[in-house]
Amino acid sequence: MRGFHVYVLLAAGAASLVYAHLLNPYWMHVAIIAMFYGILAGSWSLLAGYGGLFSLGHMAFASVGGYTSALLVQWYGIPIPLGMAAGVVLSCALGGVIGWVCLRMSGPYLAIFTLAFSEIVRITFSTEDQVTAGMAGLHTAPLFHIASRLPYFYTAFGLLACSVALIGFIVHSRWGLFLRAIREDEQAASASGVAVARFRILAFAVASALAALAGSFYGHYIGILTPSLGGLDLMALVVVMTVIGGMERIPTAVAGAVGVEVLQEFLRAYGQWRLVIFGLVLLLTMRFARNGLLTPIWQQFVRLGEARGAPPAPREAGQEGSGI
Amino acid sequence: MNWDYLFIQATNGAVIGIIYALIAVGVTLIFSILKIVNFAHGDLYMLGGYCAYYVITLLGVPPLPALVVSMAAVYSFGIVLERLLLTPLYSERTERKDEYGIIVTFGLAFFLRNMALIVFGPFPLRPPSFAPGLLRIGTLIVTNDRVFAGAVGLLLIFGLLYFMNGTIWGQALDAVSQSRDSAAIVGINPRRFNSLAYGVGAALAAGAGALIAPIFSLAPDMGVLPNIQSYVIVILGGMGSVLGSIIAGILLGESQGLFTAFFPDPTRAFAYTNAFGVLVLMVVLIFRPTGIFGRRHVRME
Repeated sequence: MRGFHVYVLLAAGAASLVYAHLLNPYWMHVAIIAMFYGILAGSWSLLAGYGGLFSLGHMAFASVGGYTSALLVQWYGIPIPLGMAAGVVLSCALGGVIGWVCLRMSGPYLAIFTLAFSEIVRITFSTEDQVTAGMAGLHTAPLFHIASRLPYFYTAFGLLACSVALIGFIVHSRWGLFLRAIREDEQAASASGVAVARFRILAFAVASALAALAGSFYGHYIGILTPSLGGLDLMALVVVMTVIGGMERIPTAVAGAVGVEVLQEFLRAYGQWRLVIFGLVLLLTMRFARNGLLTPIWQQFVRLGEARGAPPAPREAGQEGSGI
Repeated sequence: MNWDYLFIQATNGAVIGIIYALIAVGVTLIFSILKIVNFAHGDLYMLGGYCAYYVITLLGVPPLPALVVSMAAVYSFGIVLERLLLTPLYSERTERKDEYGIIVTFGLAFFLRNMALIVFGPFPLRPPSFAPGLLRIGTLIVTNDRVFAGAVGLLLIFGLLYFMNGTIWGQALDAVSQSRDSAAIVGINPRRFNSLAYGVGAALAAGAGALIAPIFSLAPDMGVLPNIQSYVIVILGGMGSVLGSIIAGILLGESQGLFTAFFPDPTRAFAYTNAFGVLVLMVVLIFRPTGIFGRRHVRME
């Protein structure tokens, strides 16, 4: 039965939607944040895993999206979804511009350039404090005026599903092939007729738009935005999540994000040690299992339906929304 | 215009520039041999500062020997890191070494920073000063610590220049940076020089951290900013060029000092001073994707 894994994931997704109300508020919050990271990890994996474009400015786009939406809603009182859309559009355009200006840069130079960009964004947001409230934090309008977190859960789920579907559509089309060709050898790809410039810009624009989507949702969910959303620590966390999961596949990247976030909550007693452990796991992953820790599991999972006609008992299909 | 203020800013700028240059030559050295940008360099700088602090306060060693001890300790630590983490860069079988280098050093930075937060604590620490007191030249007042940091920094830089140009080891390093295979043919073991380059780069960063500690204070995230500033210098001065880094470092320190002095809004001057260097970096990279004097981006074969 081909495509068995897709049905399992759809079933798991549907089940998590139906039974979401059984989660207690704390774990629902964890699930929402996990899905926020899932969008970021998935889009970073499009950029870095598929395109080989190691942007360290991914969180800067999330923060641009978050602040744009929050400020527009605050100034003009526009509906929040409209504000989020504005943030996404602005970030998409900005991402396209960044993708365009760094077309000639490769490898570490691109990483340094995007790191510089994210620093400028962070410094500007924290210094212009009469606009953004600086490090004190900008209060944002909540997306829903209800005590329950359930609507946020559904929204996050929907956003994650749409993001994964969009990225999945891109990477499974010819475009994904072009991106991987660019990653392997830019000159060879260009010689074979791949419009390198167009696809590099496209990857940046799409990934930045999705980061902004995550960022603006996060702002309106948490209720406060600080410049540290675009800081290096969160960027490192997203890299950790993506690489531990497996950055060359969208499902493993997203599952890595969800897994790391859930583990972070389970290991709460260990406090700061968690980040040290994740850093160590990242180094070990890079050193000994560069494809990511979840990739072998995912490959087994995909092969499930092909081996036998009758599928074995549905296994733990993973956390909600680990792929569509 | 207040001339005293201007002179003080210029002096401070020169000292900071020398310290930044010290960090940047390490980045350049590592890049020229290992062909990776070390994203964990700022954290080695942080480790150097803390190491000196604990050697001074716990063992009661005077500051100057503590500086040497700290550099030696971080040198050894750098070699251990290089042996443990960076060896896949030299393997034939590793694909996409750029990617490996970026993620491993970035992950290492994350690891070291969070480890430091636990081991050293989040609160800023200030070690005893190397040379207490003030230096007065006319109306100009500079703390002795800054003079000391600048002087020792310059000494370390000249030491490195001598090492690179005047000793057989430095020439071997240069040979490896130009061509690993040719260097191997004439009897240089490139692997040993990988370790040496990473160790020396780490030691210089540690020296910078120990020198700056009495001026600013120590904090686990103190390396983030100098790390980025060192990239500005390296991009300006040319990736792989030690002399270029030194000139660019002092230029950057000076221009930032003067930028702070002339920025119309003093409350924001400091924040935007850092943004200014970073902006220069972005503009340079847009027009010269491998830096001003950079060779074409070379990958390790």
